[in-house]
Amino acid sequence: MTTSVYGVWDGEVHDFRRTQSGEPPSVLKGLEDFAPYNKTKAFIADRGFLVFERDTSLVEAFSQYMAQAARESCGRCAPCRVGTQRIRDLLQDFSGGSTGKGILESVEEIARQITDTSLCGMGQSCARALLDALQHFRSEFKPLTPAQAVFQHSFVYTTAPCIEACPSKVDVPRYIDGVKGGKFDFALGVVLDKYPMAATCGRVCVRFCETACRRSAAEGAVGIRMLKRYAADQAITNDRLHFTKSPLQHNKRVAIIGAGPAGITCAYKLLLDGIQVDVFDAQKAAGGMASIGIPSYRLPKDVLKAESEDIVRQLGGEFHYGRVLGQGFTVDDLLAKGYDAVFLGYGASQGTLLGIRNEDPKLAGYASGVDFLLKVHQHVEYGEPFAVHGDVLVVGGGNVAMDCVRSARRMGARSVHLIYRRTVEDMPAERDEVLAAEHEGVIFHCLTNPSGLVVDNGRVTGVDLVRMRQTDRDAKGRRNVEAVPGSGFVMNCDLVVAAIGQQVDKNVLKPEEGIELDRWNCITVNPDTLETSRKGVFAGGDCVLGPLTLVNALDHGERAAASIRDYLLNGEVHIRPARRMQNLLARNRLLADECLQTMPLHKKPVTVPELDAGERISHFKEVDRVISKEMAYEEASRCLRCYRLYSVVTEKQLPRETPAGHREPIFPE
Amino acid sequence: MKAHINGKELSFEPNETILEVARKNGIFIPTLCELNDIDHTPGTCRVCLVEVRQGEAAGLKYMTACDTPMTEGWKIMTRTPKVQEMRQLQMEMIMADHHQDCASCPRNGNCELLATANSVGLKQVRFHYTEGWENLEPDQGSQPVIYDRSRCIRCQRCVAVCRTVQDVDALELAGWGNTAGVRLKGGSVAASPCVTCGQCVMVCPTGALSERDQTQEVLDYLADPEIVTVFQTAPAIRVGIGEEFGLPPGTNVEGQIIAALRLMGADIILDTNFGADVVIMEEGTELLGRLKKSSRPTFTSCCPAWINFAEKHYPQILPLLSSTRSPQAVMGKIAKTYLAEKRGIDVQKMRMISIMPCTAKKEEAARPVLGENGVPDVDIVLTMREFARLLRREGIDLKLLEPSAYDDPLMSEYSGAAAIFGTTGGVMEAAVRTMYYVINHKELEHIEVAQLRGFENVRSANVNLGGEYGEIKVAMCHGLKGTRRIVEAVLDGSADFDFIEVMACPGGCVDGGGTLRSKKSYIPHAMKRRETIFNIDRKTKVRQSHNNKQVQKLYADFLDAPHSEKAHHMLHTHYSSRPCGVLADIQAAWDELKKQGGS
Repeated sequence: MTTSVYGVWDGEVHDFRRTQSGEPPSVLKGLEDFAPYNKTKAFIADRGFLVFERDTSLVEAFSQYMAQAARESCGRCAPCRVGTQRIRDLLQDFSGGSTGKGILESVEEIARQITDTSLCGMGQSCARALLDALQHFRSEFKPLTPAQAVFQHSFVYTTAPCIEACPSKVDVPRYIDGVKGGKFDFALGVVLDKYPMAATCGRVCVRFCETACRRSAAEGAVGIRMLKRYAADQAITNDRLHFTKSPLQHNKRVAIIGAGPAGITCAYKLLLDGIQVDVFDAQKAAGGMASIGIPSYRLPKDVLKAESEDIVRQLGGEFHYGRVLGQGFTVDDLLAKGYDAVFLGYGASQGTLLGIRNEDPKLAGYASGVDFLLKVHQHVEYGEPFAVHGDVLVVGGGNVAMDCVRSARRMGARSVHLIYRRTVEDMPAERDEVLAAEHEGVIFHCLTNPSGLVVDNGRVTGVDLVRMRQTDRDAKGRRNVEAVPGSGFVMNCDLVVAAIGQQVDKNVLKPEEGIELDRWNCITVNPDTLETSRKGVFAGGDCVLGPLTLVNALDHGERAAASIRDYLLNGEVHIRPARRMQNLLARNRLLADECLQTMPLHKKPVTVPELDAGERISHFKEVDRVISKEMAYEEASRCLRCYRLYSVVTEKQLPRETPAGHREPIFPE
Repeated sequence: MKAHINGKELSFEPNETILEVARKNGIFIPTLCELNDIDHTPGTCRVCLVEVRQGEAAGLKYMTACDTPMTEGWKIMTRTPKVQEMRQLQMEMIMADHHQDCASCPRNGNCELLATANSVGLKQVRFHYTEGWENLEPDQGSQPVIYDRSRCIRCQRCVAVCRTVQDVDALELAGWGNTAGVRLKGGSVAASPCVTCGQCVMVCPTGALSERDQTQEVLDYLADPEIVTVFQTAPAIRVGIGEEFGLPPGTNVEGQIIAALRLMGADIILDTNFGADVVIMEEGTELLGRLKKSSRPTFTSCCPAWINFAEKHYPQILPLLSSTRSPQAVMGKIAKTYLAEKRGIDVQKMRMISIMPCTAKKEEAARPVLGENGVPDVDIVLTMREFARLLRREGIDLKLLEPSAYDDPLMSEYSGAAAIFGTTGGVMEAAVRTMYYVINHKELEHIEVAQLRGFENVRSANVNLGGEYGEIKVAMCHGLKGTRRIVEAVLDGSADFDFIEVMACPGGCVDGGGTLRSKKSYIPHAMKRRETIFNIDRKTKVRQSHNNKQVQKLYADFLDAPHSEKAHHMLHTHYSSRPCGVLADIQAAWDELKKQGGS
């Protein structure tokens, strides 16, 4: 474990410059092996700085850090716009040997001004470590020596709590800037830099970003998702978004298994980079679980189609529908046919059994959550016959369960009951979904658990239920549940839906294909590069993670595409330095415990208008209405722009952050 | 709730800012970017620093007063040496990347930035950052409003006024770091929803936004002995420009303007008010015709920013717009035909220069349909600000001049009805006076129609025209936000009007986007200027357009009758849809992302 020679962290001064003994505290984990075969010399953040190698030039490290601040400054407020440039220049002068009187005093004066008076988090945080250094280690500020100039390189990474919380690492404040500044297409472009499904994500994302939003410590988190949807809708619902085939074409072709969020994103990014793709999917439309699993009252199918199938086709991708991996073709076949790489994104779409008495998926009146939603989807979308009547009982407390009960209401069930073994507060479903289900008249039975099915003549006629109660808190403060003895009862029903989760279909891959699976049949991958155990085969999304979120799948699609591009054009796959930094920040929770320093002015959060509950249960039209432009501006103005800069100073230069290929051709053939 | 400022205990409401509490109590804190009149607090200049002690044991903090909520028990000091030093450093940084060539700045003489520098006691600017703009090409476009980023302080007032006051939303924030600024959405007037109303210029604290300056062209014409210069002055000019020369707001300087133009060597001096009277003859007749056909409502057409707004934002209502040209355009056409003919002037040598309170008039004059064979009816439009500049360049101080009077026998007389064109409701009232006469063959008894004279942004009234027309329903809007409301109500059928007057600028022409700028306030002299306009009406002998002798002569000698074929050909126009939406350019977004920062 690397220990610091000197530094300041959270106001605490560490100084082991003269002592060899003692136990220097290790503040951060994972810095020592930040990059392989490359010594970490220093680390600079908003909360302080740490120097690990005595010969590190502190001036140069801060000069590069502040240079990044000057590049990142949005330029709206004066102290950050001008002050960062001024400090950068003064430090460069000093580093270059200029010893003009008062240089460091000037730096300190401006650093304090930036910190105290800047408008947003970027300015307020970017000079704090510098102030610490000047206050406690001014004697370490010395002109740069030629050796230091050769053996010292900074990798400065800009992020924010909302960005790091997002699996896709979407630059949230940047697209909120876009909305705030009236540049809706720019805002959309920030999202489209990561994945194509912006309007989809803007509707159904689980919003890790909003949970991390620092404004939630004031009057409530910024409505990040609604702003994303707003920006995306401006282009997509007005048919203003069109892509054309990339002018740069490599002679490479990738097979993508699964047209779900991961596969579509992977296809999109590869196509933008000039790599051809063929997308195979078992269904007859793109979208995967976003299509069959998310009802159209949450995500209209035309929106999904516009930014999955349509975009991929415009970019030159081809779809092969009704094709199931493992049924008629294998990964071996694909590679034998000449595909240069394969991306597996076939999802996790098998319903999990309840594991109770008399349970049998073939019974009439029994369905898994995904099968039920698929039938609803095929009925609503393609008019295939499917009717729901009588009393419906749905077991589960997640988003799929909510989708099932709300869909059952719309399909015309007489009554819809939700059975959940814990309390409402414990439900993993999003709060908004739970509330919406309540508003739509779903009857909740919490602290209730099924123990068996009542079957009559091959048909489910009821469910045996048992009451549950909460146990006392355990050592970690958690409460479990246990069955109340003798509390069994029966609820009659015409349909029971088991919506307690999905799993990966174990029949897709054959063992002889050499792709390693874990005990849940999930594909084992390198978590940074998404390489599977087989060369040239990459995987992502639910078939790797188990049933997780849309945005996790989007992230996997994007990162897999970057790895595939690396593999196809460079011959080997690299871990991007940004990825290393993200891992470091996550491991040390550097952005997770952020709190507000001062309360901002109260600005009432905008709420998304929605269709009246009484009206909406009669159809599958979208529940959330469009926010107005004024509302979008209002909401965007609530963003505090909590940008932070993190710099790792290494002995050797890190491989250049490879920008996505559509930004500039970096591997000309 | 209570807190202290400068040792004085003050009470305040929750969520009030330190600045609001200070202002309420008469305590001055220097500000730059905010503009209270349009409720704009962007917090970008960071000049309004105060010293805050949050509790007895707490240390001192330095905070911006504009965006920090006042909190129970805080002790604020507004002028400690440290606070003053910090404000000066802030100002120094603002000046550091500002193009400090004040001598060549369009805001020379009344700059808000310099005023704020004064108020914080700025003593030195030790460093300069010019990279953001030194290679910037000067804006050579033909659009009426010019943006110079080198003088922009990123206060975003222009964006705010365009969004919240006008609801046009043509501007976006552009660039990053030292290239941050604003730009038209889509990059040009044509691609953006911009209607060139010029409200952005009115709130700009510096010379970053200004009109396209054409004073030099006018000076060149004046100096050219071959050229016959013809000037026209809009109704609003005479009640606004006196302020430039230290006269009280609302002073009527019509006579001094005539004297000044004569002094400069203007060959023919006309009054746009004459054109306004002609407009009433045409538009009044047109409206009665439409009423007869039950085609309703009819929108007025004198305001060029409103025409732009209709063409760009609501092309489906264009058939409802009056086809009558604006007074400026009518003046140009009649001068280059009737006047030239009667006074024996070679039209090729005639230059019509109009002085307008308006930036959009520059664009109107350039419409191909308002000219003949590529020669525009109006050659140059000067805003009031350029006219002031012209006077300064000729060494003329309006307030020292002896008032003079018009001497043109053909196009300078005007009625009181024309005079009130410059304020909201004026066009409506002028039209009512003449329509009433046409229908009833007698003058309206109560000539000042009180129900038309409110100042709310959207007003409606019923007016009895008598005869077969009876009572008609009218509405008046000033400011495009209210206009949008009315237009949408017309489109969805919820509005029930016969005649709707629209002036795009809040306050009407007397506060138009081409009038003088004020500091730290938005249209502060609206009511004074308006009152003077009404007084001009009262003092004018003839108060109805149809009684203007020169107008009667124009029809008798030249045009036959209102809406005659000749009049229709010369004094009416048509409009066309100008959609401004474009495809989303995601590559541009990606290019911009790549440019900024290290990501």
